[in-house]
Amino acid sequence: MVDLEKQLRAQAKKLLEDKAVDCVIGYENSDDPLMTTPCFITAPNEVDRLVLNCLCGNNLTKYLIGRKEKTAVVAKAWDVRSVAVLVKENQVKRENVIIIGVPSLRIVDQKKIIAHLNGKEVISVILKENAIEVQGDVFSEDLLIDDYLQAGCELRDDIDDSMFDIVIGEMPASKQNIDDDDLIKQLEAMSSEQRWEFFKKEFSKCIRCYACREACPLCYCKSCFVDQNFPAWFSKSTDLSDNMSFHIIRALHAAGRCTDCGACFRACPNDINLRVLNRKIAKDIKELFDSEPGLNPKEDLPLTSYKPDDPQDFIK
Amino acid sequence: MRNPYVPANAILSRKHIENTAKDLQTFEFIFEDKKQAENFDFICGQFAMVSIDGVGEAPFGIASSPLEKDFIQFTVKRYSKGILTNALYSLSEGEKLGIRGPFGNGYPMKELEGKNILIVGGGFALTTLRSVVKFVLHQANRAKYGKLTMLAAAREPCEMLYREDMAEWSKRNDIEVVQAIDKPAEGWDGQVGFAAEVLEKMTPDAKNTYTLICGPQIMIKTCINVLGKLNFTPDKIINSLEMKMKCGIGKCGRCNIGNKYICKDGPVFTYEQLLKLGAEY
Amino acid sequence: MKILEKEKINSVLDFLAGQYDLVAPVSQDGLKFEYAQVKDSSKVNLDFTNSHESPKKLFFPQYEVLFRYYADGRKEVPALETDKKRVIFGMRPCDAKALLFLDKVFDDAKYQDPYYLTKRNNTVIFTLGCVSPQSTCFCTSFDIGPFAKDGSDVFVADFGDFYSFEAVTDKGEEILKKLSGLRDAAGEHISKYEKLSRESAAKIKRHIELQGLAEELINKQDAPMWEQIHLKCIRCGVCSFLCPTCHCFDMIDENQGPQQGARVRIWDSCMSCGFTQEASGHNPRPGGREKMRQRVMHKFSYIPQNFDTFGCVGCGRCIKNCPVRNDITKTIKKLRESESREKR
Repeated sequence: MVDLEKQLRAQAKKLLEDKAVDCVIGYENSDDPLMTTPCFITAPNEVDRLVLNCLCGNNLTKYLIGRKEKTAVVAKAWDVRSVAVLVKENQVKRENVIIIGVPSLRIVDQKKIIAHLNGKEVISVILKENAIEVQGDVFSEDLLIDDYLQAGCELRDDIDDSMFDIVIGEMPASKQNIDDDDLIKQLEAMSSEQRWEFFKKEFSKCIRCYACREACPLCYCKSCFVDQNFPAWFSKSTDLSDNMSFHIIRALHAAGRCTDCGACFRACPNDINLRVLNRKIAKDIKELFDSEPGLNPKEDLPLTSYKPDDPQDFIK
Repeated sequence: MRNPYVPANAILSRKHIENTAKDLQTFEFIFEDKKQAENFDFICGQFAMVSIDGVGEAPFGIASSPLEKDFIQFTVKRYSKGILTNALYSLSEGEKLGIRGPFGNGYPMKELEGKNILIVGGGFALTTLRSVVKFVLHQANRAKYGKLTMLAAAREPCEMLYREDMAEWSKRNDIEVVQAIDKPAEGWDGQVGFAAEVLEKMTPDAKNTYTLICGPQIMIKTCINVLGKLNFTPDKIINSLEMKMKCGIGKCGRCNIGNKYICKDGPVFTYEQLLKLGAEY
Repeated sequence: MKILEKEKINSVLDFLAGQYDLVAPVSQDGLKFEYAQVKDSSKVNLDFTNSHESPKKLFFPQYEVLFRYYADGRKEVPALETDKKRVIFGMRPCDAKALLFLDKVFDDAKYQDPYYLTKRNNTVIFTLGCVSPQSTCFCTSFDIGPFAKDGSDVFVADFGDFYSFEAVTDKGEEILKKLSGLRDAAGEHISKYEKLSRESAAKIKRHIELQGLAEELINKQDAPMWEQIHLKCIRCGVCSFLCPTCHCFDMIDENQGPQQGARVRIWDSCMSCGFTQEASGHNPRPGGREKMRQRVMHKFSYIPQNFDTFGCVGCGRCIKNCPVRNDITKTIKKLRESESREKR
């Protein structure tokens, strides 16, 4: 990991010294030992602030939207795919961005660690080869990274080469699914009543802060449907039906575009399993259209393009 | 405890198109309940929240005079994105809506007694200034105030507000009315030039004179420069501000500039006060 | 000061639940705690640092009907008064202090907010001193501290084997008289109490320097540092929603069929995109810089100027829950260390 960090800093330094970019968006340490924080490096002598490790969760490509200056961004596999979608949707100019890809970097799910520790506060961490040592007031424990990986966040060996301007670390040899597809299978196996109970439990937690939307790189609409008051699509209350309307419409709006980066899930202050709808939709789209967003920038997005052999079974 | 969020019902008694561009109309309301009308005691420069059930609420400066007890009037500019204003425009006379208020501080009409008043209004920002003119010109009040001068500026003739009022005021000898448009136009017999230029030509006397000014930011800034040259001090330049508002009573948190809430501490401020508000102004 | 043996706490809670609407901390998973109305002591869990969402929602809910309107113009305000008084047991001192600030907003000299004030007047607050503050806490910067009593009616502290109960207001005194099982504190309890109070305060390491801050920020409204500190903020508003003092709201009409509807107020945030957007298209605070500045200035300069108190109580929720780990204490520090204007 230290090596990757060194490489990143060197690359960032070169980009800034050569004036190839105005800014490198990466991660630096925060006061929260379990999470880094985004940073905007604009001078070569600041590159040592950059860190790169399993605590680099945020999808930084959100910051590319609307940025005029030439920018380099540190991107994990699924973040790279976000850029591809944003370029496809004309939100980001590809030539304005230098993608510093970290295709093999995996991240831990802070929420899993907190749950494991039963809410005991972590005061510091030591990053090791395959583990992180978490230290609290009166405890210390080695946690294997593999046991706490964030669900979703797939490593891919099939992202188009053109999406990487700089590669830090190895390309993964194969597709690695760090996933709770089990949950999708479980959901699919549930009766509709059980499924309803599941979603009821999740979406009743929503306080309608819209952090999921603001964290999502694909939520860039100037005026979001949920903010429209006249006519309103549904109430702004936290009643279950209104919460559900919001999340279902948002999931459908991200359908065929979502790269399962987990930004919504990480941002949610109330730990709603926001990924599950997106994941299921992504699975269906893959089955129906044999398409996964952001893997190939030349390929059109499945739900905004038409092919003569698209399945038409739904027309009855 | 009085509930400051519940509006009083009012009836739209008259709609009146104010300019030839037809995007400015005066809406006249009568309170359904006589008591509400009596309670609605306001001073020039105050505003009220006007609402249509099911559409929403928005703040508008009161354009009628406090002495016009039978009704209140608002002049409203129509914006394509203004949800409430569009709904207002589509209302017919006799339909119901809600009014909350009056809110804000208003112009210092007491303090202005014995003083000359210079009014500078640009575009449709003239509305609460009309209230002042009507109030001062009222026979019960006219003797209390000194010289009354009014500069009404608009970009084009079709945007000039209150044509009938202006025509009537122009006939009087106790008010000087100057109307100006930005560029020459056919059939225009008033002044031509930006408000600040026309104001400079008017060379108003700063002695014992207060200026009430409303309009677009750029107009205000240029006019204030001219007034400074003419020795008007910031404490005698009075300005009314606008911001998006929801509650009107200093709680919902969006209409502040610096530490002042426009709805509660304003909308009327002296230029001296505004200078202290800092970067946001 | 009164003393209650620890094993008797449930009978006190049961008594309160019987006499009043009792609101107390509960947790589904042992990780996140929320205040909820309970029927008895069985679900109450006092083994918590602080609630995840702030208790402001008990007085100023995320969504509240102001009145219903009908096609004939009739307006109907929902009943605000309730039959029973409400007791909140286990609020933290920072959150209780925040209510004192909200009181100033919703009960100013000119306009009283009946929705907030009815709930407020109907509630008795038992605060629970903090013995294990978190690393994100910085209440001591505001002279609050884990054993501060401002805003409490009754102050409760947990000593491991017993609780202390102390009436702070007349309202508290009155209710304390009704509780059985309490006995007078002895000298040893008082000294233990003072020791615990000191030790708890010493656990709070995070600090924000407030001396002269309100005035300094006025001079730094144009500081170049604003360009830096807003960059990573994604303007999601989690900070505002979880904050115990943030009180900005929106008012909207919600139609329920053609014949009726309700004007409601919902929480809003200075971070949200439409907060100051005007119908004309003009937005006086269009970007991240202006929005971030508004939030910081409101809490640390405008509110102090207007209310002689800060718009922050150091609860740390905004630090702990920010998706990009923006840290208000660091933001203030950076601003204080920065130049007022660009060096020429």
